Amino acid sequence: MYDVIIVGGGIAGLGAAIYCGRFQLKTAVVGEKVGGTIILTDDIANYPGFKQISGMDLFDKVQEHAQDYDIEIIQKKVNNVEKCKDGCFKVKTKDKTLQTKTIIFATGTEWKKLNVPGEKEFENKGVHYCALCDAPVYKDKVLAIVGGSDSAAKESLLLSKYGTQVYIIYRNEKIRAEPINLKRVQENKKIQIINNTNIIEIKGDKFVNSVTLDKEYNGSKELKLDAVFVAIGHTPISDLAKQIGVSIDKKGYIITNDDSATNLNGVYAAGDITNSKFKQAITGVAEGVKAAYNVYEYINNELPVCGCMDDE
Amino acid sequence: MVKVTVYSTSTCPWCHKAKDFLKEKKIEFEDKNVAEDEEARNKMIEESGQSGVPVISIEGHDAIVGFDVEAITAALGLKE
Repeated sequence: MYDVIIVGGGIAGLGAAIYCGRFQLKTAVVGEKVGGTIILTDDIANYPGFKQISGMDLFDKVQEHAQDYDIEIIQKKVNNVEKCKDGCFKVKTKDKTLQTKTIIFATGTEWKKLNVPGEKEFENKGVHYCALCDAPVYKDKVLAIVGGSDSAAKESLLLSKYGTQVYIIYRNEKIRAEPINLKRVQENKKIQIINNTNIIEIKGDKFVNSVTLDKEYNGSKELKLDAVFVAIGHTPISDLAKQIGVSIDKKGYIITNDDSATNLNGVYAAGDITNSKFKQAITGVAEGVKAAYNVYEYINNELPVCGCMDDE
Repeated sequence: MVKVTVYSTSTCPWCHKAKDFLKEKKIEFEDKNVAEDEEARNKMIEESGQSGVPVISIEGHDAIVGFDVEAITAALGLKE
């Protein structure tokens, strides 16, 4: 029986684990992807104590710090979470059932999908979500990025290092890049912005070779290219929390209060999965730390003896 | 010793994680940078049928796409 299982292995989860370790709670971090989305950020300049650090290095430092305490990290996908009648929980992976008094959800987000024909079929075959990872595979190819955020603009600049031509395909009039990145995009001869336009289908043979647009560009709705990178934002991973009745908002984010507590006793949430407005590594870690403290208080002061015994 | 090849790019964080994991488990592997090595890139695409990285190729098993710890652990018969 664990005191706390932290579901999700990103920086918010590991931040929580540090404090759970310090409170000497029997703690496990369970997650398929230990590292989370922070490691996909190349350059972080807003985490106090570090003027400049890569997401990977920052995460590794936090993980190393957490592992300085007596906590377990279990690199497995959580398939199922159940609430026992006596107030405890079961967390299930493919081959293990773990019992715990409390849960901290730090499951984060995943890339939002375009939801057009061909997207799923060609995933990793010309449809990609991580430019930092996969762009170098497309040297001297024609590439597109979908989206109009600052991230999309930065990714178009990254793609231009490898591709011969880069299209930014954006559904609205003007991309919302920070001024410095907008200028870089505008000055880059390889980058063309196709505005007020959506992709309606992704086509190919074994790999992507074109997309269909909802309006003509240079006289055609067919645009020949070798890969499409999708950067249209994130969507919360809250299915596990939903299974046990955790309240979520309209967009699917877990509703938490100032103590990182959810509507359920013994269930907390931290990081990008919560409905907090400002999502940063530092705020996610802080939410994890508050969750850890409140887990400690809850176990010591409120939780009745439990053991999922009634469910066996 | 079973032959293990990691197809990667230098900027891909999950590639680094996959290589760190193999090093930690003391598994020898060959690292192929598919951004620079066209032959390796073609081999990776042929073997895995896709172009995302990392791909972990373990002799006698289907290519593993992405840093899938459970699949790597199972294919190498590692203790958890």
